[in-house]
Amino acid sequence: MVIEAKGHCLIDVGSTYIKVSTANSIEQHFRDFNADILDDLLSKCGATVSQFEKHNVYICSSANGGLSTLIIGVSNTFSLKYATNIAFNSGINIIDTILYQNIDEYSLPSERIDVVIIVGGINSHSALFSDSLFNYLADLEYSNIVFAGSEQDAPLLKNHIDDLVVLPNIVDDRLHIVEQHLKDYLVNLYQQDIEGKEDIKNLYQITSNQIYSTPYIVNRALPFIGSKFAVANPFILLDIGGATTDIHYSKDLVEDNMVTENEYDRLVFKRLGVYRSRQSLILAAHANEFVYELLSYLKVTENIFNEHSDKATRILMQLAIFLVLYKISRYGESYVKLKLLAINSIVFTGGITKMLSSDEIEAITLFFYRKILNSDHRPVTILDTDYDIWTLGARGDDSCQ
Amino acid sequence: MGAKPMKVVTGVVGNDIHVVANRLIDLSLQARGYEVFNLGVNTHLAEFFDAAVETGAEVLMISSLNGEAEGWGREVKLLKAKYKGLDELIMMIGGNLVVGSGNTEDIIARYKKYGFDLVCHQTDLNTGLDLLEEFIQKRSAS
Repeated sequence: MVIEAKGHCLIDVGSTYIKVSTANSIEQHFRDFNADILDDLLSKCGATVSQFEKHNVYICSSANGGLSTLIIGVSNTFSLKYATNIAFNSGINIIDTILYQNIDEYSLPSERIDVVIIVGGINSHSALFSDSLFNYLADLEYSNIVFAGSEQDAPLLKNHIDDLVVLPNIVDDRLHIVEQHLKDYLVNLYQQDIEGKEDIKNLYQITSNQIYSTPYIVNRALPFIGSKFAVANPFILLDIGGATTDIHYSKDLVEDNMVTENEYDRLVFKRLGVYRSRQSLILAAHANEFVYELLSYLKVTENIFNEHSDKATRILMQLAIFLVLYKISRYGESYVKLKLLAINSIVFTGGITKMLSSDEIEAITLFFYRKILNSDHRPVTILDTDYDIWTLGARGDDSCQ
Repeated sequence: MGAKPMKVVTGVVGNDIHVVANRLIDLSLQARGYEVFNLGVNTHLAEFFDAAVETGAEVLMISSLNGEAEGWGREVKLLKAKYKGLDELIMMIGGNLVVGSGNTEDIIARYKKYGFDLVCHQTDLNTGLDLLEEFIQKRSAS
């Protein structure tokens, strides 16, 4: 018999941790990668979860790695950039892009792509695509394919590509971005992907609500972040996880040609994490010319990379903060550059808040601003230690508004 | 100009925010029957070319007032060469194209070398647009 607890039970299944939040408690457990997710969850938090009816359990997950995406577009500044932005904001982590005019020069991905997105051209333009696209696709392995470009080209593509989904153009006649249709498609595809994966599918035994991707949940909570934290705009939110590092940032921080209704956009560094992506994080660190100075500043040597202690994890997290800030600065290679000197707050969420203190985080941001930007600017550090942001997003639109 | 208006991508290049002149160019082009894609001020060179690809524009009209064009103009030929399918794009630039003063003929010759078909240094807007129409007519006749 279920004695129903008051309120909701919110569960986040990450690549590294499982977090369970109720009105009375927050639990966080390291995942057992040899066990099924549901079994693992119930063995650790079964007593809590069993107090809730299925309709009161809300789950989000980034544990299945998300969808792999290949975007083919006709220009870097418009169609490719817009589609990448929409994909990130839909919770997708793995994105590769192809500039259509050079498609013959790209090699085929070795793994099957979950979704191919083709974009380009405003609706009054036509004949943007030809045989080179169809030839490339003929050799590519993919599960889904969607076209969201010029409506005049849609019939041609539909004739040549089996099972092509055609959506309204993401570039309107003023060259502005139109997000909603492609975003809805990708979010739904993510749900279907989750439902198709045995591990995640089992979680529907304890919830009757849709399972969303965690970054999607975090992003939709951001307009309401002020209800939980004293955050001064503009801000960035860093979610340094086990496999990836997510950044959500105020649109005020980019000089951009994208005019969207979103106040916040998302960017992912897919190989920057402190557990599953540990080795690639260390490789990225080795490649950065300032890292040895940073290690010295933290009073450790590069031998720390060979250790598997809490201290080593903390150092890796500090490195991840530095590398992410570097990548989004004007010296980095990310597809957007943020105006870092305009940031007033940096909010940290995820496992990092359990490992690092405010002082340890501030030491890194201070080092970054002084060393890289030659500035004494000091954004306020805010730690989301109780997963309030994720809770805010997971509770849905009703409680957010 | 026929049923289908000719498409023009326009905007202000570089760190230049002369928004009023930019708006006047937009309105004047529309009044002459062009379909205008105005990228606004502070526009990077690559954005102009990318917009031409996305829209299928026949004309790229860059404006500049504070001398920024001089620096950006040098990169036009190199950048345009990276785009496949923009060979027929009419390249036009106008405004105040140098810092300080200079001989107009020298300035025009220099910008043509940069890859512009039409160069209007300190030229009245309507005169510049007349030049564009003449150029289009000549090209379609040839």
